[in-house]
Amino acid sequence: MAQPTNLEKPRANALNKDYDRERSFSFLENIYLPEIFKALWYSFKQIFQPTVTMSYPEEKWDPPAIFRGRPVLVEDNGKERCVACGLCARACPPLAISMQANEDADDPKERYPDFFEINMLRCIYCGYCEEVCPEEAIVMSKDYDIVFESREEAVYDKERLLVPKEDLQERLDFLRTYKNRQFGQFWDFQEENNIHSVRDRDREFNSGLSLVELLERQKENDTVEADSKWAR
Amino acid sequence: MSTKKLKDKVKPTFFKEHQEKLYQALEDKHTTVEIMKDKDPLGTEMILNMGPQHPATHGVLRLALQLNGEIIEKAKLDVGYLHRGVEKIAENKTYQEFMPYTDRMDYLSPYSNNVALCTAVEKIANVEVPERAHYIRMIGCELARISSHLLWLGTLVMDAGAVSFFIWTFREREKLYDIFDQLTGHRFTVSHARIGGVANDITDTAMAMIKDFANDFPQELKDWHGLLDRNRIFFDRNEGVGVLKTEEALNKGACGPTLRGSGYAYDIRKFAPYARYDEVEFEVPTRLEGDNLARYYVRMEEMHESIRIIQQCLDKLPKGPIRTDNAKQAYPSKDEVYYSMEGMIHDFMMTDTGICPPEGAEAYHAVEAAKGELGYFIQSDGTGHPWRLKIKAPSFANLQILEFILDGEMVADTVVIIGGVDPVMGECDK
Repeated sequence: MAQPTNLEKPRANALNKDYDRERSFSFLENIYLPEIFKALWYSFKQIFQPTVTMSYPEEKWDPPAIFRGRPVLVEDNGKERCVACGLCARACPPLAISMQANEDADDPKERYPDFFEINMLRCIYCGYCEEVCPEEAIVMSKDYDIVFESREEAVYDKERLLVPKEDLQERLDFLRTYKNRQFGQFWDFQEENNIHSVRDRDREFNSGLSLVELLERQKENDTVEADSKWAR
Repeated sequence: MSTKKLKDKVKPTFFKEHQEKLYQALEDKHTTVEIMKDKDPLGTEMILNMGPQHPATHGVLRLALQLNGEIIEKAKLDVGYLHRGVEKIAENKTYQEFMPYTDRMDYLSPYSNNVALCTAVEKIANVEVPERAHYIRMIGCELARISSHLLWLGTLVMDAGAVSFFIWTFREREKLYDIFDQLTGHRFTVSHARIGGVANDITDTAMAMIKDFANDFPQELKDWHGLLDRNRIFFDRNEGVGVLKTEEALNKGACGPTLRGSGYAYDIRKFAPYARYDEVEFEVPTRLEGDNLARYYVRMEEMHESIRIIQQCLDKLPKGPIRTDNAKQAYPSKDEVYYSMEGMIHDFMMTDTGICPPEGAEAYHAVEAAKGELGYFIQSDGTGHPWRLKIKAPSFANLQILEFILDGEMVADTVVIIGGVDPVMGECDK
């Protein structure tokens, strides 16, 4: 550890090579006109720099997949994935989310939100709802220009929040790559554990194997090295 | 340079006849002017109310200046216009939930705020942070420092009279904001650090952008040094203005670049290294003069050192996880939440209860933010909410200095001195 040196008395630790003449001027610098022309020349050169601004309403910015825009509900095969567990509402720091669960005996996933509202005036786009959701049902979209004309209009209901998962593919891929992964461990084989998961509803898990064969497969998987060990 | 001499020589007065005519004119318009015994209201003494809605006070800072002619006799500060009660909010939130609120304190370097809170919670709850997360945090903190110092540089030079400089520093800040967007998901309110690590790994794009920035930025700094270091106009505005002696700086509790500009090399990154600052090499620039120009040099050299730290971090960046693999201390991975019962239970527990430090535990942890020592003091009662959370804000400490160094200066130098001290009101008022 680098020990702090010489804290007893004040000292100058200058990294400037010209420290000795830092505060004194030569004759030319004293009449300051050459310096002004130097600065004007620098200003002139800036004209040829590439523009970094964007003429916004005409030219739209396309955010990267990592961008946390308006939170949306993932629509999977025409229905929401959300099971109304209320975890996002609990995690939300500004308390923007509210919901009411309802049950449906015909649906295998049983629970769904009767209403689901996000008050966009309260939302601070921290992404905690997405981070805690156990069903990957609420994710942050790329939507950033959100406009309303009244306070009532700012409370988004389920209808306005639902977005088909195909439109959110980029964000879902990002989450899979950078946020979801188990910490340096091989976890893929566990996917079969949760065949009732709403987010994997359209996946075929029936491999035609018997229970004994499945257990053998798992044992085999346990000994196999993970294909990606945080390769970056 | 010679404000003090000026004060002794100049006794500003108005023509007596002229004053009388003015009073007569006022009375002709049916106004009565109350003349006090020793003070003429049309004399040279006045009280100037500057702010809170003044663009040069960097936010909602209000100054009451008692002037005699153009010289400030006494200055008094009025802070609190941006008070949002975040310390009280913290008592009603879990540690994790409170984290986004820290973004809104020092909004010019939000990353350091996130890291300050998370390291304090990690200290009180004994959480181990993986190596890679430490390095990502350091990169983020140093980028935040450069971003904050760039705003300071732009506004200081603008306060001294050169407006186009502001645009050039903001061009570089725009690059930094793009980096933060790719690194954390937001340009401004980053919310990237988490208790036990960071929210997500560095993406390839972010990595490339940080490398580009670290390569290109020293050239920009060199250009700016060339513009300002030998410029007499800039010097005349800053040299010998707002002088703060070392003993006074220590007595009044200055911190950060303001303290280091007075010659005291106190930097928490060296003094009590957090993250992995003990594994990178950097210098703590200081100056002895304690005036605005010294603060200028210190901050400029700090930006050089930040780039040095970022480059070393990029070289050393280890592979591995970015969040601690202990579901009692941090969120389990989403893979675990999706595919195992324990993972899901932990996910619910972490959200609802949060991380619970031992009952009666207290911890203070400070980081070197861009403005100075940013510390969090946490008292725990064994639940997931802090019993008391106190924030030691560097801007608040530095503003106490401002009141002191403004006395005896010219009124035109006020904005330059505020610019040199570089307060952020969001952090000062909390």
